[in-house]
Amino acid sequence: MLRYSLRSLLAHKLRLVLTVAAVTVGVAFVSASFVLSDTMGKAFDELFAGLAKGTDVVVRAESIDANATARGQVRPLDEDIVDTVRKVSGVAAAEGSVTGFALILDKDGQPIQPGGAPTLGSSTSTDSDLSGNFSLRSGQVPAAPDEMAVDAASAAKAGYKVGDRAAVIFEDGTEEFTITGIVGFGDTDSLAGATLASFETATAQKLLGKAGKFDQIDVRAADGISAVDLRDELAQALPAGTEALTADQVSGESAQAIRDGLGIFTNVLLTFAGVSLLVGSFVIWNTFNVLVAQRRREVALLRAVGAKGGQVLGGIILEAGLIGLVSAGLGLAAGVGLAGGIRSLLAAVGIEVPTTAAVVEPRTIVAALLVGVVITVVAAVVPAVSATRVAPMEALRTATPADGSIGRSRSTVGILLLAASAAALATAALLKDQLVLTGLGALAGFAGLVVAGPLLARAMAGLANRGRAGGGWSLAARNITRAPKRAAATALALTIGLTVVCAVAVVASSTKASVTDLLSGGNRADLILQAASPTGGVSPAVARILDQQAEVDAVLELRFSQATVANKSASIIGLTRDTVDHVMDLGITAGSLADFRNGSLLLSTKQAKQLDAGVGDTVTITFPETGERSYEVAALFERDALVGAGYLLTLDDYAGNVTSRMDAAVMVTAASGVAAGKLQQQVDDALADFPNVQVSDPTEFAKSQQASVDQMLGLVTALLALAVIVAVLGIINTLVLSVVERTRELGLMRAVGATRRQVRTVIRRESVLMSLFGAIAGVLLGTGAGIALARAMNGEGISSLDVPLASLAVYVVVAAVIGVLAAIGPARRASRVDVLRAITVD
Amino acid sequence: MTSTSVAKPPRGTGQSIAARVEQATKTYGSGDAAVVALDAVTVDFAAGAFTAIMGPSGSGKSTLLHCMAGLDTLSSGQAFIGGTDIASLSDKELTLLRRDRLGFIFQAFNLLPVLTARENITLPLDLAGRKVDGEWFEKVIASLGLGERLGHRPAQLSGGQQQRVAVARALATKPEVVFGDEPTGALDSRTGAELLGFLRSAVDDLGQTVVMVTHDPVAASYADRVVFLADGRVVDELQAPTRDGVLEMMKRLGG
Ligand SMILES: Nc1ncnc2c1ncn2[C@@H]1O[C@H](COP(=O)(O)OP(=O)(O)OP(=O)(O)O)[C@@H](O)[C@H]1O
Ligand SMILES: [Mg+2]
Repeated sequence: MLRYSLRSLLAHKLRLVLTVAAVTVGVAFVSASFVLSDTMGKAFDELFAGLAKGTDVVVRAESIDANATARGQVRPLDEDIVDTVRKVSGVAAAEGSVTGFALILDKDGQPIQPGGAPTLGSSTSTDSDLSGNFSLRSGQVPAAPDEMAVDAASAAKAGYKVGDRAAVIFEDGTEEFTITGIVGFGDTDSLAGATLASFETATAQKLLGKAGKFDQIDVRAADGISAVDLRDELAQALPAGTEALTADQVSGESAQAIRDGLGIFTNVLLTFAGVSLLVGSFVIWNTFNVLVAQRRREVALLRAVGAKGGQVLGGIILEAGLIGLVSAGLGLAAGVGLAGGIRSLLAAVGIEVPTTAAVVEPRTIVAALLVGVVITVVAAVVPAVSATRVAPMEALRTATPADGSIGRSRSTVGILLLAASAAALATAALLKDQLVLTGLGALAGFAGLVVAGPLLARAMAGLANRGRAGGGWSLAARNITRAPKRAAATALALTIGLTVVCAVAVVASSTKASVTDLLSGGNRADLILQAASPTGGVSPAVARILDQQAEVDAVLELRFSQATVANKSASIIGLTRDTVDHVMDLGITAGSLADFRNGSLLLSTKQAKQLDAGVGDTVTITFPETGERSYEVAALFERDALVGAGYLLTLDDYAGNVTSRMDAAVMVTAASGVAAGKLQQQVDDALADFPNVQVSDPTEFAKSQQASVDQMLGLVTALLALAVIVAVLGIINTLVLSVVERTRELGLMRAVGATRRQVRTVIRRESVLMSLFGAIAGVLLGTGAGIALARAMNGEGISSLDVPLASLAVYVVVAAVIGVLAAIGPARRASRVDVLRAITVD
Repeated sequence: MTSTSVAKPPRGTGQSIAARVEQATKTYGSGDAAVVALDAVTVDFAAGAFTAIMGPSGSGKSTLLHCMAGLDTLSSGQAFIGGTDIASLSDKELTLLRRDRLGFIFQAFNLLPVLTARENITLPLDLAGRKVDGEWFEKVIASLGLGERLGHRPAQLSGGQQQRVAVARALATKPEVVFGDEPTGALDSRTGAELLGFLRSAVDDLGQTVVMVTHDPVAASYADRVVFLADGRVVDELQAPTRDGVLEMMKRLGG
């Protein structure tokens, strides 16, 4: 049986290649997801370990928030704590450090922007043992107030050498320095892509807005004293509100936070991998189904000569297992390459991720093998079991089995599922905020398509079966009707990818529409200023400068932080109290803006409902730096999407709890009588020193927001393209198999006068019909699910609904083109059948 | 008779030639393994006549038919349909020749399973994008007694009915020649006799030309003329054959 299985595998090379390819792509995606996130995880581990090198214990302000990600910034310590620390026995050296925002400008005055990494400014360590992995590549450490060292990557990017002068933007403005040193970080030129400008400690404290303060104190233990002992010793000596942690604890904590973040990222990638695997398993299932059907005679013959059902089944499982194993191996190898591809894709949309040598964990290998082998075997076993049930003689009698029958109960269940799905999605769309119902509706819809697929394929073929019987469409339609299950399974592979693409497209388009509606609904600002890079912010100096412009009427600063309310993470905003009303209409539903002052807050109606709080009630916010603070609700507002948060504090209250003073946005209105163009010109001129600030009018702002939505859509579509490729392989596979199956028919057609072109046309149209069926099913389900999903995300700020009809139409057209392309090979094969061999009786 | 004029000869005169091969040789394989299926055969088939080709198995009957019908190519020699030299045609031209000027009936598997009987019959016309000649169609259908069955798929028809549909398909384009390779081979004698009756009347009443390969002396007796092949050569022929005459000839050639 083994030899037989191997022979039958090798006898059909094309089929083998196509099947292997389908599994390989799916497995490659899964392994790529794991490899990419493991590699990134390792890169960060190395990074943090490098940062902590030489340091035994870290002293810093005690944080209320146990979650290292939410904590982000710890509150700075008073600098005299360093002296306290130095006095503790067992301390060999202790040094305070500060870190903050510093954006280096290149020689043209343009900011050196890393993709998604921060732009850091820091103090310079004078104790070489406490400086971690940092090392001077050239020059020397900055010692004077107008000196700085920059990271080697930034230096290379801007062409800076030791001795050059360079400008840096800080929270409070721009200053110029002489570069005295270029630093590297271990073997790498930068800290995971971040730019770094470091200064002599006192200068750094001043520039980073932390005069007399340190973010943390790095401590080295004396010889013979363990980090743990020293930590415990230090804990005794430290004042309340400070904590000592071993360096391992700190880097472990940071690494864990990053890994948590990467976990989400991995899950997103795995979702895409899952989609292509699902598509892949459809293709494999289909392939084996056709294979087994075609080999019914073969199987029957084997059975007739005495092979037991189990042996036949075993043979097929073995065959599938081998295909699965080979594909999994190939997929794993391809996955490592693909990981690099996805990384480049992310980099292309501005998400730069740090990297190191590709990490292939045992888990990745196990997952790849498991996924490849299990999916292939399961997809093969179902048709195989049904093959062994066929009585040998029956199979020998019927030459080409064409299972055109569709069970009545199957049709009924399928149609019921589709109806239920339509009802669920419609209800979810009407009720809004129905995420669960949306999910159920989408699942029911897909299940319905799977169950009722053959029926739908037949119905669709019925529509196409018009015109002359010899015409390509009619013949193609009838060939589909002949094996509707096969056609449906082939088409549904395409449906899966398109459903997700369309759902995402509808949500993206609705998001864009929401941005427009939002700005036209509540915005009163004439200009909106934001940092050009996603990680930076706008210096508060900008707002001060704008305040002095005659053309400017009101200026609003807006800062943004995470905190905890009622045990849930919440977005908190601090904004300029006096100008809120000038710059935006928040849609106050209760209370009055006049009562909004220090000690009170504005609460969104949505959060109010959740907290069951009203005007006059007290809301407690837990800040990561300062802990619990209570505020009285001054008013409730409706347009939370306008600011992107449900809790608004005065700038003073905010600053009292959050150290960073960078503005997330600054909004400006024009003084009366000043034209928009004039205002923009004036503001641009006034902010010449802040090239990292992007000034846009509401329309431009909306456009840039929409552009980033489009970019995400593009990213998702690119990731789903793999699933579509697998589906195309499936179409090719099905076509090739059915061409082989129909050799005699095709030969007969040629004998009675069908030209090669006519034969090709029939095959091509079959392909197009299947693709269109798959596409239309996907577009319909995807649009339905997308609408319901957009409505379900009403709370996330998607207030409008927009169905991008043009894009959806494009998808359908693309599917038709895909159908044409997929048919090229099979059609050529069909047109080359040997007429004589096809018509002579064997 | 050796004219190779390109002009299409008039049909149904009994004098003009519908199909002809000249020094037709067909070799399969090469070297020691070479099989000579046709060995310099020269024979012509009169228009408006019913000709049977007979001979032992492996004598080259099917090969001759295929080469005349443009389904296969000769190794050397020439084949003509009317005045057209088949060897000079491209694959596309051959296809169109088959579609527009020839008809076929095979021993089995004549019909596309997805098409109804009517659609199978009009398939060559549909492929050509030509309109069905209603009067002719009715005439053919009526003479074959297929009226009731036109909406059925091949799977719903008996073997005899399927072969009749195949005959109707072969006649639908009013072809210059209808070729049949053992069209009754898979039928019982009664059904076979019916079918042969139709072919006979197609020649007599509709003026068609039929060339048919058969093993059956009874079938051959329906023809106007029988050509005998053996080892790839024409060895003899009979005009206005009878069953006994054919049997006798077969005995003589076989012995
Ligand atoms: N494709 C082929 N390759 C090699 N030899 C072939 C091929 N087709 C036919 N032959 C050989 O050519 C010779 C003539 O074959 P052909 O099919 O014409 O015989 P036939 O008279 O039709 O026989 P039958 O009565 O059995 O159908 C035979 O010897 C056959 O083996
Ligand atoms: Mg033969």
